[in-house]
Amino acid sequence: MSSAMGSPTNVFWHECAVGKGERQKLVNQQGCLVWITGLSGSGKSTLACSLNRELHSRGKLSYVLDGDNLRHGLNKNLGFSPEDRTENIRRVGEVGKLFADAGLICIASLISPYRKDRDACRALMTDANFIEAMLLSVLMNIPLDVCERRDTKGLYKLARAGKIKGFTGIDDPYEPPLNCEIKIEQKNGVCPTPCDMAAQVVSYLDGNGFLRA
Amino acid sequence: MISVPYYSLNSFLTSKSTNLGFPNFPSPSPLNFRRNLTSSSTELAPIKANEASRMSSLKINSDESSGLIRHEVSVNGRRSENIVWHKCSVEKSDRQELLKQKGCVVWITGLSGSGKSTLACALTRGLHSRGKLTYVLDGDNVRHGLNSDLMFQPEDRVENIRRIGEVVKLFSDAGVICIASVISPYRKDRDACRAKLPEGDFIEVFMDMPLCVCEARDPKGLYKLARAGKIKGFTGVDDPYEPPLNSEIVIQQEGEVCPPPEVMAEKVISYLDAKGYLEA
Repeated sequence: MSSAMGSPTNVFWHECAVGKGERQKLVNQQGCLVWITGLSGSGKSTLACSLNRELHSRGKLSYVLDGDNLRHGLNKNLGFSPEDRTENIRRVGEVGKLFADAGLICIASLISPYRKDRDACRALMTDANFIEAMLLSVLMNIPLDVCERRDTKGLYKLARAGKIKGFTGIDDPYEPPLNCEIKIEQKNGVCPTPCDMAAQVVSYLDGNGFLRA
Repeated sequence: MISVPYYSLNSFLTSKSTNLGFPNFPSPSPLNFRRNLTSSSTELAPIKANEASRMSSLKINSDESSGLIRHEVSVNGRRSENIVWHKCSVEKSDRQELLKQKGCVVWITGLSGSGKSTLACALTRGLHSRGKLTYVLDGDNVRHGLNSDLMFQPEDRVENIRRIGEVVKLFSDAGVICIASVISPYRKDRDACRAKLPEGDFIEVFMDMPLCVCEARDPKGLYKLARAGKIKGFTGVDDPYEPPLNSEIVIQQEGEVCPPPEVMAEKVISYLDAKGYLEA
């Protein structure tokens, strides 16, 4: 009986001589995936950038996977339907896993509105090849009205005018994480500065040993 | 025993490109963090979604002041929402300074059994022993993860290579010497990957081993299955392999002897060294 070549049993796993531990020693850090989630305009890209800068200034190798930027490349064949959002998150998770395995501190910045999809990424990072979970979830816990007032890309305006449908926070749900390692929020109604937000994450990474091999 | 140099913070101090200097960090306090899981906020109540989202088309608008550049992006013939490009202040050159190398892609192509994975492993060992950060993307391994939703018909092969091409581009931008080891049988698809990268950063290595040699090895027993008709569309048997016309490096037999892995790796390493990829 013949079958198409696409049988999973014909796809093998190749072990390689240089392992994650050796790469981590080389760059003196532990690879992980920092997953920043939140509404549009909540400050995800801002935090990703300031975190990236902060880590770089400490001699750490980090890389930002921005949801929007990836939609220009790897994910350019995906739209915003629920299925495509799921696939978008899945692909970013898989790439983040590769980056973490390579020894980098990978910073993913995506709305990633659905809990199920984010949890799938967390599960991805906790498989047999990893000793412990390396996905750190950062929730940008900034109220909708603050995000909408910022409206950095003019999208809330378009969504309110009905020109975009299924926009997260307006007519598509954002499901906040039930368990996240880091929560960024206002203090007495004041949003933290990019530096403060970065410091909060760096402090967590440092305290949990990611900034050394 | 291979000695591996460590990159210390001090080696980064003189970097000219970040212009950040060293802010006064408080000395690390002996905090004992555990992985605290915070509970969610109740402020963000989910809102019911409408039916399928309608894509709107928006004009291109440059707004560099906020670090955002608007682009019109089309998805499957329908315009998607405005997707901006977020600029970040840490550039590829900064990372390269940190790593003392230049990010690039070594794309190893060839028939099944031609020695791609073997070369990839030897290459990564050789580069690692020189203190370089590398990462191997093996076609088979990627098919267990990112590309686990793809099979082997032509359109999926194209998508497989496209995605790998996008990922190696990201790794290269991150400053990593990324080694892709994938049959990648179609010239058009490999060339499309080359086009995504700056000139010179895509280094194609053609494992030019005769089919009979690959088949005699048959490391995964796939040629046998293919000849027995149990697999269809197997590259080299009943699906074409289009050899590169202009590879940077070609690995061939000498006489009828295949070079050992370390010799193949050294050929690639010499090329990278000569082109300046083993320094910032």
